[in-house]
Amino acid sequence: METKTTVTQGVPVRAGKKRRNQLPAAIVVLLGIIIVAVILGGKSPGLAISWVIGIGFGVVLQKSRFCFAAAFRDPFLTGSTSLAKAVIIAVAIASLGFGAVQYAAVSGGGNPPGFISPVGLHTAIGAILFGIGMVIAGGCASGTLMRVGEGFTMQWLVLVFFVIGTLWGTHDYAFWKAVFFDRAPQVHLPSALGWPLSFILQFLVLGALYILADKWGNRQRN
Amino acid sequence: MAEYRLDCFGEACPVPLLKAQKKLADLKVGDLLIVEVDHSCAIKNVPEWARKEGHNVEIEEIGDGEWEIYIQKTK
Amino acid sequence: MKLEENKYFKTVVKDAWPYTVGAILLALFNITLLIVRGSPWGISGVLLYWGAKIYKALGGPLQNWAFYSNPANLKGVETPFFSHAGSLMILGIIIGAFFASLAASQFKIRKIKTYRQVIAAVLGGLLMGYATRVALGCNIGGFFSAVASFSLHGWVFGVFVMVGAWIGSKLLVKFFM
Repeated sequence: METKTTVTQGVPVRAGKKRRNQLPAAIVVLLGIIIVAVILGGKSPGLAISWVIGIGFGVVLQKSRFCFAAAFRDPFLTGSTSLAKAVIIAVAIASLGFGAVQYAAVSGGGNPPGFISPVGLHTAIGAILFGIGMVIAGGCASGTLMRVGEGFTMQWLVLVFFVIGTLWGTHDYAFWKAVFFDRAPQVHLPSALGWPLSFILQFLVLGALYILADKWGNRQRN
Repeated sequence: MAEYRLDCFGEACPVPLLKAQKKLADLKVGDLLIVEVDHSCAIKNVPEWARKEGHNVEIEEIGDGEWEIYIQKTK
Repeated sequence: MKLEENKYFKTVVKDAWPYTVGAILLALFNITLLIVRGSPWGISGVLLYWGAKIYKALGGPLQNWAFYSNPANLKGVETPFFSHAGSLMILGIIIGAFFASLAASQFKIRKIKTYRQVIAAVLGGLLMGYATRVALGCNIGGFFSAVASFSLHGWVFGVFVMVGAWIGSKLLVKFFM
């Protein structure tokens, strides 16, 4: 490889090899995405919306290099808390929207929509196992999908075994259900504490975590 | 001034950052560390860490989805 | 002027976006999903559907499993792939990331370099997959969407996934580097 050295801001940088322009391929893929959206829209608008939002998630995850695994891992491993802070912001904004949707649903006499699952020891066990897995595999579920799209063969393998893992876990469902799920309560905080208190608590805790993450990130600097 | 190369092609997060942190600690002030990566997250978290530490950092895209991160140790 | 030098093209398509921009957009998309579909962003449940579908196609006796003795769960597996909203969303994430990396001319098949990576991928994938059936969700459905749903299990998941990440970091540094 032929190289020449230039100096930018005190750091010598070599000119690299020739690159291909992948933009034409991107335009073809974009056309494909639109065609699929139109076909799905003909079947059912809900399917088209799911597809388009999925594309949106993929683009945003890739462009912003968003990584939930890193948000939980980096504070200990590398001392960086920028992703942890970003996740806190995401959760806070989503809470506002989810809260409004839930409040409207409950006021109308319905059940609160969203993911409200039994909480208990199994949540802790599962989360610890998940945490170990995502650090070893180099990404959690969303990060794995994003990297599959970016061409990481390692993550293709992770995805295959993730799928096998969910199947294996479902095979053992009877055990986990009998020992844990059946005795575990579902706790929707606003139903238990009332809307004002749970709202205040939610944002107090998120705010405190943000400040803590910020301090932790700065502390590591010295 | 010495120059060191760190081949992190194919390495997923956070391995490139950890390797760079370890390697840079062994370098002398003024030395240049070139981290070769093809992980898109690494071109965000490696420079972020190095700049925070106060080193000079440059990123060069050397190929499709391949980068060299130049870190000059300043302290 | 070349497109690559256009500053808007560079900021939007070529360069990475700030994490905060990602955070805001992911939250807004998740809220949109909740409003439109009545169910927020989740991944592991869809991956189970993929696994169950393949297993069933290979002749696996799913109906004998406790989870699928519930007719509603078994019926879910029979939904065709392209009528399964969750699958389209997950496929969308992969294709969306593929598109974004192509648009920035940063797509590359990154080959596996070492056997350690293979072991890490197999172990990490299996652990994550199994764990989602124990905790009833992953970082997305079990934490992000769960905490936003004001469910206590989301907070518990968040605390302990951090413990797991800490243990995982020790293992990573010791065995996989």
